[in-house]
Amino acid sequence: MTINIQNVLKNLGLTETNLGVSTGAEWFDTDGKINTSSSPVDGKVIASVKTATLEDYEKVVTKAQAAFKEWRMTPAPIRGEVVRQIGNALREYKDDLGALVSYEMGKIFQEGLGEVQEMIDICDFAVGQSRLINGVALQSERSLHRLSEQYHPLGIVGIVTSYNFPVAVWAWNSALAAIAGDVVIWKPSSKTPLTAIATQKIIQNVLKENKVPEGVFNLVVGRSSVMGDNFLGDKRIPLISVTGSTAVGRRAGRIVGERLGRALLELGGNNAVIITPEADIQMAVMSTVFGTVGTAGQRCTSTRRVIIHEDVFDQVKNAFVGAYEKLANKVGSPLDEKFLVGPLIDQHAVMLFEEAVSKVQKEGGKILFGGQKLEGPGFESGNYVMPCIAEAENHFEIVQEETFAPIVYLIKYKGDVQNAIDIQNDVPQGLSSAIFTLNMREAETFISQTGSDCGIANVNLGTSGAEIGGAFGGEKDTGGGRESGSDAWKVYMRRQTNTINYGAELPLAQGIKFDI
Amino acid sequence: MITRNTTIEDLVEDYPKSVKYLADKGIRCIKCGEPIWGTLEEACLEKDFTQEQIDTAVKELNALHQEGNQENSTDDAQHITIKKIK
Repeated sequence: MTINIQNVLKNLGLTETNLGVSTGAEWFDTDGKINTSSSPVDGKVIASVKTATLEDYEKVVTKAQAAFKEWRMTPAPIRGEVVRQIGNALREYKDDLGALVSYEMGKIFQEGLGEVQEMIDICDFAVGQSRLINGVALQSERSLHRLSEQYHPLGIVGIVTSYNFPVAVWAWNSALAAIAGDVVIWKPSSKTPLTAIATQKIIQNVLKENKVPEGVFNLVVGRSSVMGDNFLGDKRIPLISVTGSTAVGRRAGRIVGERLGRALLELGGNNAVIITPEADIQMAVMSTVFGTVGTAGQRCTSTRRVIIHEDVFDQVKNAFVGAYEKLANKVGSPLDEKFLVGPLIDQHAVMLFEEAVSKVQKEGGKILFGGQKLEGPGFESGNYVMPCIAEAENHFEIVQEETFAPIVYLIKYKGDVQNAIDIQNDVPQGLSSAIFTLNMREAETFISQTGSDCGIANVNLGTSGAEIGGAFGGEKDTGGGRESGSDAWKVYMRRQTNTINYGAELPLAQGIKFDI
Repeated sequence: MITRNTTIEDLVEDYPKSVKYLADKGIRCIKCGEPIWGTLEEACLEKDFTQEQIDTAVKELNALHQEGNQENSTDDAQHITIKKIK
């Protein structure tokens, strides 16, 4: 299959220079800096974007505030119907948007399609949830009193997304926020503004046809000087959702916390797979390789460490190296389906990859495979690397860090599975984790209270590739937020406790007497 | 012109050579593939730079950028010449 990027851009309504601010169906000309978006695939400029100024940001917030008053009065299932139609519009443009994700971000086309499918899936989930925004009936201690809880729309939700999932994370947040009755302001990654603009264009007809007020779905492409601390510190925005590095999340958490707002933080991971002597080794290796090199190691859930029992260490190591040898000629353009590993996002990322390769050796690690920057025909952008396997120890400084690139550390453990779990938990981050074992005791220990300390703990499948149905997020330096499925919708709403006295008496709680 | 208040994102986007310069001084501008938020001054203070060291960094970054501009203008000139020959 050949993808014609010019056709993709045309089908998505993108031109040489694009507007970067929209309140739904309306777009605004702006005087901010003009950013160009270049493809990591071939280094070519794709198109430019006119970014926002502080005045544009103010206009959008004002519009969003007004829209919220209207949108919160729209019944939730009607809001869900709009989200259903957004899902259908995404189905219609799945191939084009998937191709643009692939070209602008660098993940392989199959993963680009998967990302759009994730958007569709969360829309479907949100449609169902729109009829199930349920509170709870509780038992009052006072007679003829009714005690209950209900959920109300929260207000404006600020969404900061990262380049590695340039559109799916917006969908996770926006679909739920929209059915909850909130309005959203989206600050996409400055690396991938075009996929954001394309998404906004895909949904704009749905918004227009359904007369959704301008200001419900807002997009503001702007640098952190315009959409940075001022955005995080804006009291008009009760919830800020940030997907990014721990450094950005820590800053966001502090600024949002100072104004006692809510922050939903989905930050870095240092995800490990444990392979015990009782694992199906072939399954473990195949599954883990996708986790290490999928999206060229640029997922928050990418497998960074593989903790292997000493009895099977050499077997697993050899199988890993064998699998990577097969991958060696599958690094290339993500738009060509014969390749499975695309480029890193830019040359800075390549530099950090090379630094990590060098650092692990300096600390006493051993490179077992790869680790080089690729050059020659097909690699002219300078963003391609050969995925790396290194033998290392968990306490190495570089192993404790998250390197956003395809480098995986093989670490040996001895004795009981608890030793492997202790190693796994001994990092600052706590996003995703997995164990491969056919031993029920090991598996149950791993997911027990003494097991993995991560937000995600899988058995016999890898660390990456979560479904939208479960809540997504992690602990410790990963930030503690939960997005996507399960009851993550509650984050986008405010809880209210109601006590109703339908009797003729005025009994006080705790039996307090207060007779006047 | 680069100042203490220039954001790291602006440095990464507009003065990309700054990334390597700051990395050599222990400041990581890019994390998880994205520029960190905040200003040059904040990033320096986080790494316990003194006020003097921050001034030096600003000065050296501007000098680095100037060098880059001169190299680019030489490159541009060469590029134009090649075009003309063709």
